[in-house]
Amino acid sequence: MTQTPPAIAAIVPAAGASRRMGRSKPLLEFEGRPLIARVVSALVEGGARPVVVVAPPADSPEGPPIARVAAEAGAIVLTPETRPAEMRDSVELAIGELTRQAPPPVAIALAPADGPGIDGALVARLLDVWRESPERIIIPKAGGRRGHPVVIPWRFVMEIPSLPPEVGINALMADCAGDVLEVDVADKALIADLDTPEDLQRLREAEGRQVRTVRLFAVARERVGRGEITVELPEGATVADLRAALAEQFPPLAPIAGRVMIAVDSEYADDAMAVPAGASLAVIPPVSGG
Amino acid sequence: MVEITDKPLDYAALTEQARHNNAGAVCVFLGTVREMTGDRRTTALDYEAYPEMALKKMAELEAEARERWQIIEAVIVHRVGRLDLGEISVVVVVSCPHRKEAFEACRWLMDTFKEVVPIWKRENWADGGEEWVHPGLST
Repeated sequence: MTQTPPAIAAIVPAAGASRRMGRSKPLLEFEGRPLIARVVSALVEGGARPVVVVAPPADSPEGPPIARVAAEAGAIVLTPETRPAEMRDSVELAIGELTRQAPPPVAIALAPADGPGIDGALVARLLDVWRESPERIIIPKAGGRRGHPVVIPWRFVMEIPSLPPEVGINALMADCAGDVLEVDVADKALIADLDTPEDLQRLREAEGRQVRTVRLFAVARERVGRGEITVELPEGATVADLRAALAEQFPPLAPIAGRVMIAVDSEYADDAMAVPAGASLAVIPPVSGG
Repeated sequence: MVEITDKPLDYAALTEQARHNNAGAVCVFLGTVREMTGDRRTTALDYEAYPEMALKKMAELEAEARERWQIIEAVIVHRVGRLDLGEISVVVVVSCPHRKEAFEACRWLMDTFKEVVPIWKRENWADGGEEWVHPGLST
C-alpha cells in the first residue's frame, strides 16, 4: 500500500476589490491567460495540493468569472456570500476549509491572485527549500524586496485566526521574524507587485502592448467612478479599437462607448484614425454647455 | 477673449470689455439657470468642462466668427461648478459697427458653442435625482 506523502497546500486570496487598479486584477491577462489562472497553474505545477482560491461573492461582476477560471486551472474555489473585508479574512476562510481535510496539510504556500511572474519552477524551488527546513517560513526575495509565494508551516498557519483582529498576515511574519528564511531569487519580475495602473503599464510594455491613459467626463466619469483610466490597446490601434477596448475593459462604458465622441489631442477624431503615440485621449459624451 | 471660470460671471464688466468707440452695436447673450423644464423643477445645475479642449474650441469659434463677420471685440466666458437658480452660466458679448452682424455673430457663437465645446451640465431635480444632460445619448 502506497502512502500519500504529506501535502503542501496553497491559498490564493482573490476576493479583493482591486481598488487601486480600478479593474479586477485576477482577470487581467498576461501572455494570453488571466493572472488567476497562471497563479493556480504555477502552484499546481510546483507541487502544491490542493490549491484553494477564495473568490469574490457570486453577486459581484468579477466573482463568477474568477471562480470559473480558477476552477478550470485546478483550484478548489470558495465563494463567500459577502466580500471579505481584508485579505486576512479570505485566508482564514481557506484555512477553515483546509482544517476540515484529513489529514491537514503540513504547510501552505500563500500567493496573491495577481502575481504576474509566479511560475511552476519558482513554486517548486520554494517548496523544496521548505522541505529542507520545515520549521521555517520561506519568503522569496529579489532586489532587496520580499515577494511571493510565501511558504508557511501549518503550525504557524493555525495561529492566523487568533492574531489580534486589527492586524494582517504580515503581523505573523513580524512575530515569527526569527523563523523566516529568505530565499534569493534572481529575477525581480518573479515577485513584482501588480497594484496600480502604472504596474500594469510596465507589465504590458514588457509584452509589447500599449497602455494608454484616457480622460473621462460627465456621465462616462460617473459610470466608471474616476476621471482617468488606463486602457490596453493593440499595436497600431485606431479610434474604433479604442472604443472596443473601452467597452470590453470597462463594462460600465459598454452601453455608451459607441455613441460618444473620442478626442485625440483636444480634437474630435474619426473612428478610422490611428491613435498616435503620446496623444492625450478623452471620452466626450454629447455636450450640453450653455 | 475666451475663458472658463468657477467664479460668478460679472456680465456688466464683460460687456464693458467688448465696448469700443467704433462699435455701433453690442449684443450680449446670457445663459441662466432655469427652474422649470416642463413640469420638472430644477434646484441647481452642475457644470463640468474638459478645460484644455473647451478653451481650444472656444478660441476656434471666436476666430471663425471674426472671419465671417466684422467683429470689433468678442467675449465668450463659461462658468463651471455648482450654479443656483437664476445664476449666469455663460456670457457671449459681440461688438460690431452695425447691429445686424452683432446679432448674427452672437447667435451663431452661442448656437455653435452648444454643439462643439466640451462642457456638460447635470440637472439636480427638486423631486430627487440627478442626471447628466447628454442630448441624443439615452442610457
